[in-house]
Amino acid sequence: MRLNDLTYLMPLLVLVGASIVTMLSVAVKRNHRVVFGLTVLAHLVAMYFLLPLRGFTYPIPPFLIIDGWGVFTMGLILATSLFVTMVSYAYFEQREERKEEYYILLLLATLGACVLVISQHFMALFLGLEVLSVSLYALISYLRTREMSDEAGIKYLILAAMSSAFMLFGMALMYAVTGTMAFPEMAAFLNSGQEMPLLFLTGFGLIVVGVGFKLGVVPFHMWAPDVYEGAPAPVTAFIATVSKGGMMGLLIRFISETNGYRYPSLLLIFTIIAIASMLAGNLLALRQKNIKRLLAYSSIAHLGYLLIAFLAGNQLGVEAVSFYLVAYFITTLGAFGVVAFLSDNVRDADQLEDYRGLFWRRPATAAIFTAMLLSLAGIPLTAGFVGKFYILASGVNTQQWILVGMLVLNSIIGVYYYIKVIAVMFAQPEQKPELRKVLHPAISFASGATMAVLGLLLVWIGVFPSTLVQLIRGLLVTFMASL
Amino acid sequence: MNTLPMEYGLLLAGILFVIGLVSLLIRRNIIFMLISVEIMLNAAGLAFIVAGARWAQPEGQVMFIFIITMAAAEVSVGLALILQLYHNLKTLDSDAANLMHG
Repeated sequence: MRLNDLTYLMPLLVLVGASIVTMLSVAVKRNHRVVFGLTVLAHLVAMYFLLPLRGFTYPIPPFLIIDGWGVFTMGLILATSLFVTMVSYAYFEQREERKEEYYILLLLATLGACVLVISQHFMALFLGLEVLSVSLYALISYLRTREMSDEAGIKYLILAAMSSAFMLFGMALMYAVTGTMAFPEMAAFLNSGQEMPLLFLTGFGLIVVGVGFKLGVVPFHMWAPDVYEGAPAPVTAFIATVSKGGMMGLLIRFISETNGYRYPSLLLIFTIIAIASMLAGNLLALRQKNIKRLLAYSSIAHLGYLLIAFLAGNQLGVEAVSFYLVAYFITTLGAFGVVAFLSDNVRDADQLEDYRGLFWRRPATAAIFTAMLLSLAGIPLTAGFVGKFYILASGVNTQQWILVGMLVLNSIIGVYYYIKVIAVMFAQPEQKPELRKVLHPAISFASGATMAVLGLLLVWIGVFPSTLVQLIRGLLVTFMASL
Repeated sequence: MNTLPMEYGLLLAGILFVIGLVSLLIRRNIIFMLISVEIMLNAAGLAFIVAGARWAQPEGQVMFIFIITMAAAEVSVGLALILQLYHNLKTLDSDAANLMHG
């Protein structure tokens, strides 16, 4: 550890510092607005310190490495978390529960995800993952007076702890074979031998269980619908984006550092997972009447799409993963942002019936939700379309015809249930008095502005994707050269 | 001095892990499910110690301490949740906690 390392770790240190300062400020006086302001500030400062780190590859041996991929995913995570914070203010302001600790947990979860994506050692990976997971347990069951929240929390806790145990056991086996826990040395070990030892392969299989759980892909997806439904809407947005994206970032780093694309057995596992996720996610989503559950199944399917690009494994594949992550994050944040925005102080607006005739009551909100759903379906002029096109290109480029065929088929199935929700929004409303307590406009301003920004970004990326592509290429140029 | 081969240790850890997994799957009481998860985590910790002993490195034991710490954090959150759940449902049967039919 050198002094210089600290400049490179500033984004993480800011998050740590902010969570402590926030905790102290809560101890002195509970003030929702102050805590919210501190959290937003912390994210902005962390991003400010992240900016000068572009274009460097700076290993901090043995645990961390800050390179283009790490900076890109950290930036994405910080921005996402900032959007979640913005949406959370109005959501929690109308509730009686103590709301200040929520922001501390959110900061810590973001920190965990950031550590996860820049780790190059099992210990750092484990610490990052657990900081993220333990914060998530508390976040999911944050509205503790709601039974569903507790139930979702305990389900997630038991399953996440189990998947961590699988992952740890896998790491132990890999460590037993290679004698090192750092990715570069592990790669050196693998390059020296011809065959992959059986014990190593077993270990990798166990790690896939842990990774698959966090990504929420079939067959490790069982928690997703319940947790999505039970957790508060902003937390659901966080799980769907930061937690999954962080794991994806780690997976790509691990596979590319250890050169895992050489092993057909590993690729076969991920191919099966990708196909199963796409099919199961889309088919199960067809029958859902609950928006949060529907989005849960849809996100299972989307992670399946993402795995296609991951399986391509070349530069185009990494580019496609990066682009799709950005598009998927914007879309998911927007969709759950709308759910959070429409929720009242008793329950979340998660039934399909809550959206009947939304267009006639709140045209702007309905328009944004429509845009998000169209992007999830992959309709042109949205970011989702360009992302899906990119994935298709990377699949065709590596001639994975089965995966490409499944992608096309599943996109068609997907359109049906997204359009169904949109149709409900445009249907004529039954005359029902609105029971909802109207918030002061200043309170919901943060949510409204955030969703407007997300909607603009969605269309902008959909119409002019080249700006984002240039940005990704610029950031990842050194990382992709090593592929 | 004769030392045990590494495989024996890993086998023991593997057996412990499977015991934990099976009991997690068949138990219906949430506290026992939490205990089963602990057994699985400790099995992983044992595997790390065995692996560390093979390479004569301290990393395995360092990792074990990390695992214990994490397990403690997890259990403390878990028990808080269980208390809250018991408060709501008046039972610890995991089948009762099925409002969402997942």
